[in-house]
Amino acid sequence: MRQAGAVTRPPTAEHTGGPVRAPSAPAAGRVTSPAPVPLPAGSGDDEAAVRTTGLTKRFRSGQVAVDHVDLLVPRGAVYGFLGPNGSGKTTTIRMLLGLVRPTSGEVQVLGARMPEDADRVLPHVGALVEGPGFQPYLSARANLARIDAADRTVDPRTSRARAEAALERVGLSAAADKRFRQYSLGMKQRLGLAAALLRPRSLLVLDEPTNGLDPQGTREVRTLIRELAADGTTVLVSSHLLAEIEQVCTHIGIMSRGHLVRQGARAEIADPSEARVVVTTPTAQAPAASAVLSGLGLTVQRTTDTGVEALLGDVPPAQVTAALVGAGVDVEGLAVRTPSLEQVFVELTGEGFDVAR
Amino acid sequence: MSPTPSSRSLSSRARSTRARWAVPVVAVAVVGGAVGLRPLVASAEGTDLPDVTVAELLEQVSQAESTPVSGTVVYTARLGLPSVPVAEMSGADPTALLGGSSTLRVWTDGVDRSRIALLGAVSEYSVVRDGADAWTYSSTSGEAVHYTLDEAGRARYEQMRVMAEEGTLPTLDPAAVPTALPDDVAGRLPAELAARIDAELAAGPGVTGELPTPQEAARAALRIGEAYSTFTMGEQKTVAGRQAYEVVVTPKDDATLVDRVVVDVDGSTFVPLRVQVWSTQDATAPALELGFTDVSYATPGEAVLTFSPPSGTQVREVVVPTQEEPSTADGTLPTPRDATVTGEGWSGVVELQGVDVAALVAGDPTALLDPSSQLTIGSETAQDLIQQFRPTDEEGQVGLELDAATLYDTLTTPVEGGRLLSSALVSVLVTDDGRVLVGAVPADTLRALA
Amino acid sequence: MSPADVAVPPAPPAGPAHRPLLPDAPAIRGAFLRLLRSELRLVLGRRRNQALLVGLSLVPLILGLVVRLTQDSALQGQGPGFIGEVTGNGLFLVVAALFVCLPFLLPLCIAIASGDAVAGEAQTGTLRYLLVVPVSRSRLLLVKAVGALVFAASCVAAIAVVAAVTGAALFGVRPLTLLSGDTVPLSDGALRVAGVALYVGLSFIGLVAVGLFFSTLTEVPVAAMAATVVVPVVSTVLDSLPQLDAIHPVLLTHHWFDFAEFLRVQVGWDVLAGGLALQAGWAVVFGSLAWARFTTADITS
Repeated sequence: MRQAGAVTRPPTAEHTGGPVRAPSAPAAGRVTSPAPVPLPAGSGDDEAAVRTTGLTKRFRSGQVAVDHVDLLVPRGAVYGFLGPNGSGKTTTIRMLLGLVRPTSGEVQVLGARMPEDADRVLPHVGALVEGPGFQPYLSARANLARIDAADRTVDPRTSRARAEAALERVGLSAAADKRFRQYSLGMKQRLGLAAALLRPRSLLVLDEPTNGLDPQGTREVRTLIRELAADGTTVLVSSHLLAEIEQVCTHIGIMSRGHLVRQGARAEIADPSEARVVVTTPTAQAPAASAVLSGLGLTVQRTTDTGVEALLGDVPPAQVTAALVGAGVDVEGLAVRTPSLEQVFVELTGEGFDVAR
Repeated sequence: MSPTPSSRSLSSRARSTRARWAVPVVAVAVVGGAVGLRPLVASAEGTDLPDVTVAELLEQVSQAESTPVSGTVVYTARLGLPSVPVAEMSGADPTALLGGSSTLRVWTDGVDRSRIALLGAVSEYSVVRDGADAWTYSSTSGEAVHYTLDEAGRARYEQMRVMAEEGTLPTLDPAAVPTALPDDVAGRLPAELAARIDAELAAGPGVTGELPTPQEAARAALRIGEAYSTFTMGEQKTVAGRQAYEVVVTPKDDATLVDRVVVDVDGSTFVPLRVQVWSTQDATAPALELGFTDVSYATPGEAVLTFSPPSGTQVREVVVPTQEEPSTADGTLPTPRDATVTGEGWSGVVELQGVDVAALVAGDPTALLDPSSQLTIGSETAQDLIQQFRPTDEEGQVGLELDAATLYDTLTTPVEGGRLLSSALVSVLVTDDGRVLVGAVPADTLRALA
Repeated sequence: MSPADVAVPPAPPAGPAHRPLLPDAPAIRGAFLRLLRSELRLVLGRRRNQALLVGLSLVPLILGLVVRLTQDSALQGQGPGFIGEVTGNGLFLVVAALFVCLPFLLPLCIAIASGDAVAGEAQTGTLRYLLVVPVSRSRLLLVKAVGALVFAASCVAAIAVVAAVTGAALFGVRPLTLLSGDTVPLSDGALRVAGVALYVGLSFIGLVAVGLFFSTLTEVPVAAMAATVVVPVVSTVLDSLPQLDAIHPVLLTHHWFDFAEFLRVQVGWDVLAGGLALQAGWAVVFGSLAWARFTTADITS
C-alpha cells in the first residue's frame, strides 16, 4: 500500500502582529520531505474518488506547472480545490481527466488508473474544464446531442430525455434552441454544467464553475453542488475565489505555484494549534497577564496597553482563565480566535487573489 | 533513487509515446521501400539467358519482327538543346520529343497495324496505321489527318501484302520502299533514328509527326552495316521486367558524335525493348533513350488498331505520292530527294539543296511538307474572323503562338553564313543560300563542308 | 437554480455506500456509427462547408454558360483543349469543370475542411469535452478523417453532378470522343466520366491525411488550413521543375491529372493504380503521423 497524502505544510509564517508575510519562495525540496497530512476520518484507499501520487507536469517549455502533488479526494466529499490563477489547478484537473499526460506520478480516479483506464473511468465523471466549449453555431440542444452521441456507453433512445432533464436542471430549457453563440457567459457556463450532468455521475470535476456568473447564479451553482453531493456524487470544484465555494466544501486543497500546500477536511484546515488567545485586561495589568501566559508555555505575540495576544497551542482555554484568575489578573475578556480559511489561504498562497507568476 | 511506482509509470508512458511515434517511422520506411523497389531497368541480377553470338541474336531479332507488342515506352532526350518550355504546356505534340521525357503507348500486331500514342497531361497525339491507311489525331488541336497511298502505292502495297501472306516478302530492302522520307523528320531526328523510317514506311503511307518506338529504332541501329560498326554482346539486363540480351553497336568512325548505341533485346521473344544512344560528349547518361517500361506480347484489341475520326472533326486528307527512291544497298542512310551525301556511314552528312527555310518554318513543323495545311479553330465563321487578326505569311499559313519560327529561333544559333542547330547527337546547319546540312557529326564538320 | 427552480433529482437507487466505485458501463452497439452520423451532420450541416459546396457547384454552371454564350463567337475554343469539346457533348463539361477546379479550388476547399477537423474543435474548446466524454483519441481521429473524406467526396460530387446536369441541359449528351480521337458509346462514355470523377475524388485522400496531420499540430485552424493548401501548390511547382524529376513520382499532385487515362482508347489501369497507390502512401504516412501526434499530445486548448 502506498502512503497516501504526502503533503507537507510549509513552515508557518510567524504571527508578528504585523501584516501576514508570504511564505518564503516555495522551494521544491520542502514538499518532498514526507510529513503526511492526516487523512480525513474513515477514508481508506477504496474510499478515495481521486488520488494522485507525486503528480508532476513539466511542459515542453520547461515550466513546471504541477510539482509533486498528492491529491486526495475522499468519496462523497465536496472538495474545494483552491488557489490563485496560474497555480496549477487546471493542469492538475486536465491530468485527472487524461487530457494532459503527467510527466511523472500516478493518477487514480474512481479506483482506476488515468489516463490508461480513461474508457472505463470517464463515463462516470462529469467535467467542466476551463470554461464551456461548444460549437458556436449549434443550439444548446444540438450541442448536448452531439456530446451524447460521442458517448458510446449510453442508450441513444434516452438521449433526448436526458438532455431535457439536464437543461431543466440548469435552468436553460427556455433557451435550449438558441445558438450557443448568442448565449451570455452565464448561460454558457450553465450549458457546460448541463453537459456534465447528461448522465448520472460518480464524480463531478468542475473547474471554476462560477466564472462569469452573477451572485444569483453563483448561489444556484452552490445549491446544485449541495444537491449533487446529497445524492452521493463526489464533487471536485476548483476556484480562485475562496468565498464562492467555501460554504459548500467538506474538504479543501490549496494550490500555490504548482504545489499542493494544504489539504484536508475543512474543519482541520484552519488548524486549532494556530488558535490564539486574546486576553483583555485593565491597562496596568497587561505585563502581568503576559507573564502568566508565558508561564503556561504560550508564545506571547503581542502585548498592548489593553491586553495580550498569544498562540494557544495545546493549552486548554479554561486552564488559561484559571491561571490568570489565580495570578490575580483582572480579566475583562478572553477570546479564542481560530484563523479563518481566508487567512489561511492568503497566508499559504501569499498572494491573495492575484495571478501567480 | 529506488524505482517508485511513479518512475515506473513514467518510463512505461515514455515507452508508449515512443511506440506510437514508431508507427509513422515504420510507415515512412515501408512506403519509401515500396517506392524504391521499382527498378525498371536492373543489371544482370538473376538473368541467366543462354549465351548467343551477335549474329544469332540479330537473326532472331529480324525473325521476331512480326511479334505483336503492346506496352508503355518512355522516351528521354538529353540532346543539350535549349529548352522549349512552351512545348510542355501545349499538350501532347511531337515537338515534345526534342527534349525531356515523354511517355508513349505502343500497340502493334506485328504486321501492318499499329497505334502509337504520345501521352500528355490530359492530351494525346496518336498515330494509327491500319494497313494502307494511316491517321494522326491531336487532342489538343482536335485535328485528324488521314494519309492514304496514291493508286500506284496502293497497288504496290497490295502486292507486298500478298507476298507477306505467301511468305515470299524479301527481307527488308530499302530499294523496295516506295515512299518518301519526310524531310522534317529527317531534320529533327538523329541520323540513325531517321534511318529506321524507311522500314517504317515499307508497310504504309508516310506520316508526318511520326512517333518513335524501341523496335523500329533498334532495327534501324542494327541494320547499319558491319562495314561501319562493331557489334559486341554486352552484359545481360532486366528491362521492363524481362530478361534481355544487350548488343552494343560502336561506330568504327571517330568523326561522328555517336559514341555507341546500346540495344536491349528480350531474351525470349527477341523483341527490342530498349535503345540508348550515347554521345561522345556525355559519358554519364545516354543522349537518347527509348525503352519499354512495361511490355506485353498479346495481340492488341481491334478497338486500338482501328481509327475513325470523331464526328464533326475536320479531316485533312493527304495522299502520299509514290516515287522512286534513290537509295544505297548496304544499310547506309537512305537519302531524300534533292539530296547529296558527303562521307559515309555514321559520319555521313546529308545536304539538301534549295530549301526555303523561311517558308517552312512559318507553318506547323508537323505540316512542313504540306502547304495546304490549315490550323482549324472552331467553326468556320470563327475561323474566318480569327484569320483576319492572325499574322500569315504569303502562303496563307497561320502562325501559331508556338510556331515553327519561334521554335526555329529557339533551337538554332546564328553563325556566319547561316543558322546552326547543335545537339549532343546531331548537327544541322542552315545556310543563308538555302542549303541544309544534317549529320551526326560536330558542327565544325558541317561548317567546313559548307 | 434556486432550490425552487431546480427539479429535485430522483433519489438514486442505492445510497452512496452501496454504489460501486466504478460501475460497469458497457459500450452500446452501433455507437461508432452514431458518432460518425453526428460528425457528418456537423460537417455537412455547417454553413461554411455548405457555402464551399455551393461555390464549387457554381463553377460548372458558369463554365457551361460561358461556353454556351461564346459558342459562335471569336472566343470559342479558347482554354484547355477539351473545353472546346463541351459544345459538342455536355458530358465533357464534367471533365472540363473538374479539370478547372483540380489545381486549386478543390484542394482549397478540401484543405479547409481537413485542416479544420481537429484544430477547429480545439479552438472552440469542444475537443476537450469530446475527449472526456470519453471518446478515445484514435476513434475521434478516425471519425474526423471519415468526415473530411466525405466532405472531399461531396466537393467532387457537387461539381460532377452539377456539371453533368448543366452540360446535358445546355449541350445535350452524345457518344464520347476520347483524347485518342476514338468515339465510344454514350453508356461507356458516361462510365468513363464517372471514373474520372471517382479518380479525382480518390486523389484527395493524401491531401486529407496531410490536412488532418497539420490539424493535430495546432489549435489555430486557419494555420492548419493554410499549411495544407500550400502542400499541393508546392508539389505542383516541384513537379514542374525538370531538375527534380527524381522526386516527381512521389509528389502528392504528380498523378492528379492521370484521370485522363479514362479518356484514352485503352484505360491505363496500372497508371491509375499507381496514382491511387501514391495517395495511399501519403495517407499511410500522414495518417500515422496524425495518429501518433494526436494520441500523445497534451490537450491544453
